[in-house]
Amino acid sequence: MAENHPVGFQWVMQAREHGATVIHVDPRFTRTSAMSDIWVPLRSGSDIAFLGGLIHYVLENGKEFREYVTHYTNAPTILRKDMKLPDELGGLFSGWDAEKKHYSPETWGYQGEPEKRDAHTAGHASAGGGHGKDRGGEAGKVEKHDSDPTLQHPRCVFNILKKHYARYTPELVERVCGVPKDQFLKVAEAFTNASGPDKTAAICYAVGFTQHSTGVQIIRAAAILQLLLGNIGRPGGGILALRGHASIQGSTDIPTLYDILPGYIPMPFFESDAHKLEQYIEKHRSSAGWWSNFDKYIVSLLKAWYGEAATKDNDYRFEWLPRVTGDHSHFGYWIDMMEGKMDGLFIMGQNPAVGAPNGRFERSALTKLKWLVVRDFSENETAAFWHDSQEVERGQYKPEDIATEIFFFPAAAHVEKEGSYTNTQRLVQFHEKAIEPPEDCRSESWFMYHLGRRLQANAKAEPSERNAPMANLTWNYRTHGPSADPMMDDILTEINGYKVATGEPVGEYTELQNDGSTASGCWIYTGIYPKTGHNVANMRKPKDYLGHGWGFAWPSDRRILYNRASARPDGKPWSERKKLVWWDEGKKKWTGEDVPDFKEDVPPDYRPSKDADGMKAIAGDQPFIMHPDGVGWLWVTSGLKDGPLPTHFEPLEPVVPNELYPDQPHNPPAQKKERPDNPYGFPYDQRWPHVLTTYRLTEHHTGGGMSRTLSHLSELQPELFCEVSPEMAEECGLEHGAYATITSPRGIIEARVMVTDRVRPFNVQGKRIHQVGLPYHWGRRGIAVGDTVNDLLAISEEPNVRIMETKALICNIRPGRRPRGPAALEEKHAQERKTA
Amino acid sequence: MSATTAFLTDSTLCIGCKACEVACKEWNGVAEDGLNWTGFSYDNTGAVGHSTWRHVKFVEHPPEPGYGGNSGEAPASWTFSSDVCKHCENAGCLEACPTGSIVRTEFGGVYVQPDICNGCSYCVVACPFGVIQRNKEDGRAFKCTFCYDRQKAGLTPACAHACPTESIKFGKLDDLREEANRRVRELNDRGIDDAMIYDPTDTSVGGIHAIFVTRGDPKQYNLPPKPEIPTIYAKQGWRSAAIGAGILTAGTLLAFLGGNGR
Amino acid sequence: MSAKESSLPERLPTEAPEFSEPSRERRLEEVRRQALHTGRVTGAGIRPAGSPFPIASPEAGYYGIPLLKEPQWSWEIPVYFFAGGAAGAAAVIAEFAQMTGSKTELVNDARTVAAIGSLLAPALLVADLGMPSRFLNMLRVFKVQSPMSVGVYIVSGFGPTATLAKMANYLRGNHDGILLKMIESASGLFSALFGLGMATYTGVLIGVTAIPVWNENIDSLPTHFALSGLGAGVSAIELMGNEDSRALNMLGLAAAVGETLEGIKLEMTSKPANEPLKKGVSGVITRLGGLLSGPLPLALRIASALAGEGNSKQLRRAAAASTVAGSLFTRIGWVRAGHASARDYRLPLQLATKSTPTVAQLPNESKFAKASRQALGRHD
Ligand SMILES: Nc1nc2c(c(=O)[nH]1)N[C@H]1C(S)=C(S)[C@@H](COP(=O)(O)OP(=O)(O)OC[C@H]3O[C@@H](n4cnc5c(=O)[nH]c(N)nc54)[C@H](O)[C@@H]3O)O[C@H]1N2
Ligand SMILES: Nc1nc2c(c(=O)[nH]1)N[C@H]1C(S)=C(S)[C@@H](COP(=O)(O)OP(=O)(O)OC[C@H]3O[C@@H](n4cnc5c(=O)[nH]c(N)nc54)[C@H](O)[C@@H]3O)O[C@H]1N2
Ligand code: SF4
Ligand code: SF4
Ligand code: SF4
Ligand code: SF4
Ligand code: SF4
Ligand SMILES: [Mo]
Repeated sequence: MAENHPVGFQWVMQAREHGATVIHVDPRFTRTSAMSDIWVPLRSGSDIAFLGGLIHYVLENGKEFREYVTHYTNAPTILRKDMKLPDELGGLFSGWDAEKKHYSPETWGYQGEPEKRDAHTAGHASAGGGHGKDRGGEAGKVEKHDSDPTLQHPRCVFNILKKHYARYTPELVERVCGVPKDQFLKVAEAFTNASGPDKTAAICYAVGFTQHSTGVQIIRAAAILQLLLGNIGRPGGGILALRGHASIQGSTDIPTLYDILPGYIPMPFFESDAHKLEQYIEKHRSSAGWWSNFDKYIVSLLKAWYGEAATKDNDYRFEWLPRVTGDHSHFGYWIDMMEGKMDGLFIMGQNPAVGAPNGRFERSALTKLKWLVVRDFSENETAAFWHDSQEVERGQYKPEDIATEIFFFPAAAHVEKEGSYTNTQRLVQFHEKAIEPPEDCRSESWFMYHLGRRLQANAKAEPSERNAPMANLTWNYRTHGPSADPMMDDILTEINGYKVATGEPVGEYTELQNDGSTASGCWIYTGIYPKTGHNVANMRKPKDYLGHGWGFAWPSDRRILYNRASARPDGKPWSERKKLVWWDEGKKKWTGEDVPDFKEDVPPDYRPSKDADGMKAIAGDQPFIMHPDGVGWLWVTSGLKDGPLPTHFEPLEPVVPNELYPDQPHNPPAQKKERPDNPYGFPYDQRWPHVLTTYRLTEHHTGGGMSRTLSHLSELQPELFCEVSPEMAEECGLEHGAYATITSPRGIIEARVMVTDRVRPFNVQGKRIHQVGLPYHWGRRGIAVGDTVNDLLAISEEPNVRIMETKALICNIRPGRRPRGPAALEEKHAQERKTA
Repeated sequence: MSATTAFLTDSTLCIGCKACEVACKEWNGVAEDGLNWTGFSYDNTGAVGHSTWRHVKFVEHPPEPGYGGNSGEAPASWTFSSDVCKHCENAGCLEACPTGSIVRTEFGGVYVQPDICNGCSYCVVACPFGVIQRNKEDGRAFKCTFCYDRQKAGLTPACAHACPTESIKFGKLDDLREEANRRVRELNDRGIDDAMIYDPTDTSVGGIHAIFVTRGDPKQYNLPPKPEIPTIYAKQGWRSAAIGAGILTAGTLLAFLGGNGR
Repeated sequence: MSAKESSLPERLPTEAPEFSEPSRERRLEEVRRQALHTGRVTGAGIRPAGSPFPIASPEAGYYGIPLLKEPQWSWEIPVYFFAGGAAGAAAVIAEFAQMTGSKTELVNDARTVAAIGSLLAPALLVADLGMPSRFLNMLRVFKVQSPMSVGVYIVSGFGPTATLAKMANYLRGNHDGILLKMIESASGLFSALFGLGMATYTGVLIGVTAIPVWNENIDSLPTHFALSGLGAGVSAIELMGNEDSRALNMLGLAAAVGETLEGIKLEMTSKPANEPLKKGVSGVITRLGGLLSGPLPLALRIASALAGEGNSKQLRRAAAASTVAGSLFTRIGWVRAGHASARDYRLPLQLATKSTPTVAQLPNESKFAKASRQALGRHD
């Protein structure tokens, strides 16, 4: 975090100076480790074993926050008889379809729950991503089920959890993660002791967790741990995703993702989602909990987009929404591109020629396009692939043979345009334009608005069924300034939502309706622009330690989600020290330091009647209102494509067998996308015996378009280097400062050698495992140039969100520079020919 | 001199992000000075000089699994320290400067007036910390200005302003000297007993206005244990010169009287 | 664990988990110890002080990056030291020679040497600064505490007086006039006074710096330079055809003796700071300078005294020539020694010079380590 979120890290430093214990779990000793109290090196790709170990430790030693767990989680919930755990099925949960390589969540349900499920249950469509609300089965109709508050029942979630993690002992952690027992116990004690009624502990993570074939389950494991310790919905707790690009959170809320619509509303699927709005709503609306308002949000969205044209009788033009027909994730469409299924591509604010795995594949696929639009500050590696790339150097293709027509548009930088950032904390902060962009540089909003305007004109010119959606799109923002940028106020009004009749902004998402009387571009952002001219995201007067008055945190400026959990079931704070919101008996309402994330007037002792639905079905002591049963989910009944509980698997390119489930080396539903141009090594392949892990440096940013092009940053880290342990250097004859050549089944690169004790070998299952660390920022353009690490990586997909595995792959390393030109390929092929 | 401003650079709070180094170059328009991967940990700019006025040092010792850099139970592992002109109480560069280009500002800082410097580079050999240096192309000597321009405008120096963790503290010299002592006591109480203050008050330099709190021996950060201001050698120097002159006079006189004219 | 206890060897055992291959662990452990104690090992992967790659540690400093900055003077400065020294001495000689009424030729030549030197000196300074106007910046203040400031006024005083003296002396040569005589002796006197400064202050100039090899010899440097200047001045005048002057010969002898003694002293004292005066290129040059301005001319002058009419002239010419060269080499040598001394990070850090060889002197230094440090030398 010190490395990649240095400004945010100041708060960790302050906590540390106030006595907090900072624990860093990372294969390498980084600038973050240097600031922390406990550094525990674990082998890349073994986090679930480690977190599972912690869960085991909590359950074994009765360290769980009992009252919180029994009331606020689904620990008491009793599961179906026919559910089977991996221990019984050799690494698989029940419901596995071997040849489709796909789970049906049917047996994962709660006992007594009315709903019938199958492989098409919301969130399980094979093509679908896992970003929508249906992840974690938020569509589930599970409010009615059997449970045992005494946690005695053998099949209640609490005991299933115990059973599942029974084997995750400190000894196992030591064998799988390479973390000596004493170090593991040190962490376990420090972390559990920091949790309780008057204490909380937080888990911060970023791509060291996410970019694995088990990424989502790693985070799930952290969530389970935090629920058991009562660290969710309370100040100082939580699991905090340290996001990446400045507004990457914003681009998930108002998504650049293929599988969701604004506000985590699932994108309709061609095969599984009906073409009628009401069936779509029926499928995704949950009968209980906050998502029972689903219809209001989708209808308001359609109104915002199709305006006049969207009426009740025409389903608000639901059929005009595009449908997901397959895997349209980055890798999904990149493979389509490689197979010539795509004509053109827009790339804005991305540099996949460097940033995306299997660089050779990424760049080669671009040659199959008819046209390519790149908007960037400089002609980055992606825009220059056709004349300046590894492939051109190696003579794989010649510029004159590439038909792709490239359009390069100069982009305005963040200070040259107004807009907003949404950060990790869901805090939206608006920023003004500091200076006019130079020459032809334009903002994204300018580009999209004027492009849309012209396309719409064409669509209107030749009316047809096909052109109708475009022609009827509400695309009428006022413009201003020398380059006619669209007015932010208009865009904000649409995002915030307004009353269709008057055009007045609505103040709260609770005002949104399902009858077409309101429009809203992103329901969770409602309240960001409650009155014309009043941009809450632009406020800069913090009133309290939570920062109310500074920016806008969705939803409704709540700074901590599910904060009802910060009070005891009876509505009183768990402790004076950790109080946040509580029930005011006098005023008969929830109050406190944060905006209560609960129906304001529902008393703690409210109990729903048998046939209650909607929010009425949520009891006064059930804080997790987005879930139909109102509690936090240790067990996820549906919506996760790789099982209801996190389970340890080795990476897609394992260096050791799976200690726990030998029959299942890696996460079963994970997709390797294996093909001749995206090859993998054999399991435990001796040609590539070492672990390869990649990461960032403070001095550079991702693909380098924003750092390797700047002299003041380039001089700080001018060259690509690899980090290896002294022991490995001794073994492989690597000289500090000299060059080394690193190969993988995909590619070959060279890097300067940094021999350092900050990287160390691991003792895993009695085997000595060496690890090569590579920062991945370098490419051929800009000031500081170098080989592209991603040429070594494989395209792969975690089953839920389809992220690739960047942290744990295989490689080999030898002293000396790599061959140049065509010889580079030769060497790689020779490598491949060698028998394992 | 309570008006005297100063830096307290605390390496136990430094995350080695180099924001200070970049901020300084950005504010003062100092150019990049070469893309050289050194292999000296993450330090690729080496030292302060005419083209680098803030410089972050990286000192590596084998870390011990189970212990982070902030643990008092294990020895220092990876520490960072942001170096800068010391703005000496008695500044060698200032005393040596024959043009009077180097002056003491109202904030107690040592400032090179670029319009007066003539590039004689005598300050370069007069600085016991190897800070100030002459720029070959430009011909003049450069170093940290203590952001004289910003201070005049009531702003904190760019480097301190950019520091996310307040590792670079800017304030009144007296307060920061106290703060340094408090900090080291605090760190010692935490078991980090190799934390020490670098502020050579006991030498002829008479203390510095850029104090450091380091972990472990300041030597490993290229901070000299006993920096001296060269003017302390002047007396001996002129004495010896007088002797030389004496020998010359006497010798010549004798020679010619003795050699009576031939 | 305290700072002292925290030395490397003690925490190595905890580095090795029991069940790993202990042999390899022990090898590593061994290598690291070796590193700590001897300051170098040969293992490719390991890089303690001075071994193929430098590290930062209390024993080794900061990656062998020089703490001090090297002098940035151009070649003109040592030459200036030389010319100024010789001219200064010459001015003194001229004045006393005239007072004691020695041969006019000798006086004339002495004045010539003084004048030429006095004009050369500022020229060389300006050349180093780049543009003449920059010289004037130094005349806007006078700082006693700055030898360079003091020196500037000595130069500025010496130039005019010495030149004026020579001009008067020259004009007088043709038609004798009381006025010119007065001018010559007056300006001559002043030039002599400034000359004394010229001959000595440069020693103070480099002595009053942070460069160890210079400031640690501050007690003798100015005298050393004075004698060197005297020798050069005398010899220059001699070479202009005054080989017969006994006075000059005695002065020459005195200078040679003085330089010989100085040389012996330097050779006898073996302190780390003086390494550059004996080792490396600077060592060769300073030693050569010492030889040429001390023992050699001494021997030659004695020889010439003993030799018959015929050879004695040649021998004195030789002695004179060697002294002039010696003086020049001495100045170059000392300035170069200053560079080497600034590079030697061990001195200001007070590191044990035995166990920590300056990285620059390492035979086995990795070419990458060298490249790195050279890269950082980019600063100048
Ligand atoms: N300076 C800078 N800041 C950035 C960025 C940048 O490029 N430069 N990028 C931004 C972006 S887009 C993002 S997504 C974030 C990413 O922020 P981070 O997640 O911090 O980025 P990384 O450095 O890739 O990975 C973090 C750490 O994960 C460790 N790691 C590797 N494998 C494993 C493993 O299996 N388990 C565990 N626990 N750790 C492992 C690596 O050693 C590394 O130290 O940073 C953002 N901030
Ligand atoms: N091996 C390995 N690979 C990784 C990762 C890893 O950890 N290891 N991390 C992954 C992660 S988390 C990420 S986020 C990706 C990042 O990799 P990419 O998605 O390729 O992102 P960048 O390289 O940051 O490219 C962003 C581009 O946008 C440009 N840009 C900046 N601001 C603007 C703007 O306002 N408008 C426009 N039009 N352009 C702009 C920049 O110049 C830059 O060229 O890399 C991924 N790849
Ligand atoms: S670059 Fe921007 S976002 Fe990243 S740490 Fe620095 S300030 Fe924060
Ligand atoms: S550190 Fe050097 S440059 Fe800075 S004030 Fe002291 S003597 Fe001058
Ligand atoms: S170089 Fe400039 S600042 Fe340094 S001493 Fe000479 S005149 Fe003064
Ligand atoms: S004070 Fe100003 S000039 Fe000095 S280092 Fe900091 S930013 Fe640079
Ligand atoms: S900005 Fe602060 S934290 Fe970053 S390197 Fe400089 S001193 Fe250290
Ligand atoms: Mo990212």
